[in-house]
Amino acid sequence: MSGTSPALVAAREADAAAASAVKAYQAAGGLEDARERYAELVARHQRRAARIAYHYLRDSAEADEAVQDAFVKAYQHLSSFREELPFDVWFTRILINGCLDRIKARTRRERWLVPMAGTGRSSSAASESAPAERDMTERVAAGGQSPEQALLGRERRQQIATALAKLPERQRSVFVLSHVEGRTSREVSALTGLNESTVRVHLFRAIRKLRALLAHDPVAATPGELKGKRRVTS
Amino acid sequence: MHPHLDGCAECRARFAAFEGWLLGVGETLRGEADEAFPAERLAMQQAQIARRLEALERPARVIAFPKAARAVISGNSHVRRWVTVAAAASLIAGFGLGQVMPLRTVMKNQQAVVPNAHFNAPTTAAIAKDLTATTTPDADELLSDAFASPKVKNLSALDDMTPHARDYHARSK
Repeated sequence: MSGTSPALVAAREADAAAASAVKAYQAAGGLEDARERYAELVARHQRRAARIAYHYLRDSAEADEAVQDAFVKAYQHLSSFREELPFDVWFTRILINGCLDRIKARTRRERWLVPMAGTGRSSSAASESAPAERDMTERVAAGGQSPEQALLGRERRQQIATALAKLPERQRSVFVLSHVEGRTSREVSALTGLNESTVRVHLFRAIRKLRALLAHDPVAATPGELKGKRRVTS
Repeated sequence: MHPHLDGCAECRARFAAFEGWLLGVGETLRGEADEAFPAERLAMQQAQIARRLEALERPARVIAFPKAARAVISGNSHVRRWVTVAAAASLIAGFGLGQVMPLRTVMKNQQAVVPNAHFNAPTTAAIAKDLTATTTPDADELLSDAFASPKVKNLSALDDMTPHARDYHARSK
């Protein structure tokens, strides 16, 4: 998390080159070439985008739609992209704004709908049916884990996801971008539009709250705790 | 890393444990998201994005609706239209008049007035004659009726105790 790695620099240079090429093709009317070149960018950022959208929306179908919308929107507005800004930062900002719009729309919808018993989705619907519904044998075969390990792993994932869902929206975003996506505070600041010091404060509070929520987690509850009062320097 | 951690083994161990926990949480969350988006799903998503980008370049198709589906406005002829307008106008006018002139009350009043029309108004001389006839003669008769003692026996005691107007009348005479 410290600084920018050479691999990241190289990836960003490749992104910038691809984005410039797409822009040039779009301007020249070579739309097929533009789409082909843009597909490179999609392939490179798709997984990361899916993770971010999933952690925002907690619903794989909605996250899928949000990612698609963000890529289409980025393609349409690529002419407004400035090369001095990394493409991933610009694109992630589009994605996050889209996710926030969806959350707002969902909140409005849920205000008028009464959830049916058993199907109601709370903000921590967390557990997100998709992985849970998948056939256990398939997952065990894929991961090479014993059923017990798989079950424990799934429980832990669920606990962490539930704890994360309990964080306030900003703290959750900052935590996900910092510790799931491995962004620096400066990058998170550029992505979220928050001040860098504000990002650090949100991150500190998010970690403290997560530790409190996961106090029963054997990994979290180590005897020599940091008492949740120290600033994490990355 | 903080310089204190170089010299303090205890804090270094605590920090290592904390860092491990944090990395574990990040790893778990990444794993959860990746599980929701396996490679096949990402490939499908990519294909879907490509389709949508392609669709952006094609102009939208406009589907022509058949003529029969259009809403038919009845009465193409001018006559029918005029009749409709006249009917509506007369209805509105009738309603307005009904509001301005309350016909029912007018009719009622007329019915009440009609019998009075046959009544012959008395002359002033006749009225004066009537008045003199009623006032002068039998005040005593009227009083005697009014001052008659009650017929109920139970009240006779009470009646005896009560001063009577007829006594005053007799005394004044």
